[in-house]
Amino acid sequence: MSPALFGHVLSIEARKLMSYRAEFWLNSAFGFLAQFAIIYFLWEAMFAESGQSIIAGYSFHDMLLYYILAILLTKLVRGQERQAALATEIYEGSYTRYIVYPIGFFRYKYAQHLGALAPISVQVMLFALVAALFIDRQSLAQISPGSVAATIVVVAIGNLLHFLIKAPIEGVAFWADNVWSLDVMLRFVVGILGGMMLPLDLYPQWAQELLTWLPFQYLTYFPVRVLLGAVSGAELATGIAVALCWAAILAALVRVVWKRGDLHYTGVGI
Amino acid sequence: MSRYLRLYAYFVRFSFSRAMEFRLDFFFRVVMDCTFYAVQLAFFGVLYRHTTLLGGWNLDQAWVFVAGVFVADALQMTIFANNLWWLPIYVNRGDVDYYLVRPVSSLFVLGTRDFAANSFLNLVIALGLLVWAMLRYPEPFGIGALLLYGILVIIGMLLFFALHLFFLIPVFWIQSSRGFDELFWSLQHLSQRPDRIYRGWARRVLVSILPLCLITSYPTRVLFGEATLITVLHVLGVTAIAWIAMLAFWSRGVRSYSSASS
Repeated sequence: MSPALFGHVLSIEARKLMSYRAEFWLNSAFGFLAQFAIIYFLWEAMFAESGQSIIAGYSFHDMLLYYILAILLTKLVRGQERQAALATEIYEGSYTRYIVYPIGFFRYKYAQHLGALAPISVQVMLFALVAALFIDRQSLAQISPGSVAATIVVVAIGNLLHFLIKAPIEGVAFWADNVWSLDVMLRFVVGILGGMMLPLDLYPQWAQELLTWLPFQYLTYFPVRVLLGAVSGAELATGIAVALCWAAILAALVRVVWKRGDLHYTGVGI
Repeated sequence: MSRYLRLYAYFVRFSFSRAMEFRLDFFFRVVMDCTFYAVQLAFFGVLYRHTTLLGGWNLDQAWVFVAGVFVADALQMTIFANNLWWLPIYVNRGDVDYYLVRPVSSLFVLGTRDFAANSFLNLVIALGLLVWAMLRYPEPFGIGALLLYGILVIIGMLLFFALHLFFLIPVFWIQSSRGFDELFWSLQHLSQRPDRIYRGWARRVLVSILPLCLITSYPTRVLFGEATLITVLHVLGVTAIAWIAMLAFWSRGVRSYSSASS
């Protein structure tokens, strides 16, 4: 796939996402506010009722900052999640056209995925600017130009990793009629094991150690910690290496699933 | 009324036949909801490692509350969720025509036609978890409190349906295929936490304008003897107002419906 074609697909997808602007902005802005409201009130109650000023190493302001960054960085990692987008192509039979296209299916789909990410990135930056006004200056001081640069790399890897985790699950559509429930299930698992629902520092030690070797924490918890400057040097390199290993394993799995799926595909659609 | 009950019995029968045709999907959906239950239990389990009280409730009370959330979720997933997923798509495609010409309420058919047989099994699992949470609670619950709890959970489900529709009916004007569904699903998470964690204006909004706290938290309070007659009347009044407003909004939406696909 030529870079020009890649850019063209990316641009079409970005424009497609903006075709319902009011829906896009209202869903995102109020969705962000709702998520933040739950977190704010939940942790305000947690700190007040436990009588502690520090929980698992986080003060109340640190906790708010963690969640704001988790929400925003996870948006960049997940992109515009259209439920079971790949599976729908198989289910409806429209996957057939990609077989005759002179481009790779996954390259095309990843270009679409990145295209949808462009307007989301603008949105994330705007939300981050607004959120920064309400965050304690001392907490914000943890973020440095170096940590921002490292986060860009980690988020890019996380984005690819998330795409690769979803792809084999959606490939189940070659054999099953409807796989959106697997997609939703993945979201639940990523939420609790990735650090979106809770910072992983709150978990028992054995669970934290186990999660270091699974791919989920590289989608939320790890990028947030990198941005906060809590991870650097050897720990950063190890984290990136583990994430890349998982990306390679999952890419191989995607290849196997889709190769076998192609043999099973009839192209009939619904 | 009997005509509607008979019609609903047909819907349920068709849905079970259809679910049996897609057995793998049936299995996936059961596993999906069980994953949701496991994740929520783990979430509260981790929180209570760091506190003894949350929203005024201890861990035993929190388990009862969370199991109630599962039951409310399973009820709406079984009865309404599939229908409300398709509603904006039907409006966008112009498919609502078929439902408007039928000699029954269009809202009844569009809102209840697809009974999710697979989620029905999850309702059984959710009820099992609720019984487990109640049995491990150190004090027994009175029959009256249990009955009132059951009634309020059903009323909460009706309230959830009305609130969800408020976010979908705008598709009659904005013509998108999803409306503000995504926003509703973000907001409904507010109902999955104990109501007493919310304070000030947020609390006032969540028990009146966007009464998500009335869906599970208020019924749970009845079980713990924390509710008064005013609490029950509050739930009934707010649900009645929400339904009256939703029906008026629905009528306006249907009047604006132009049928043409977009």
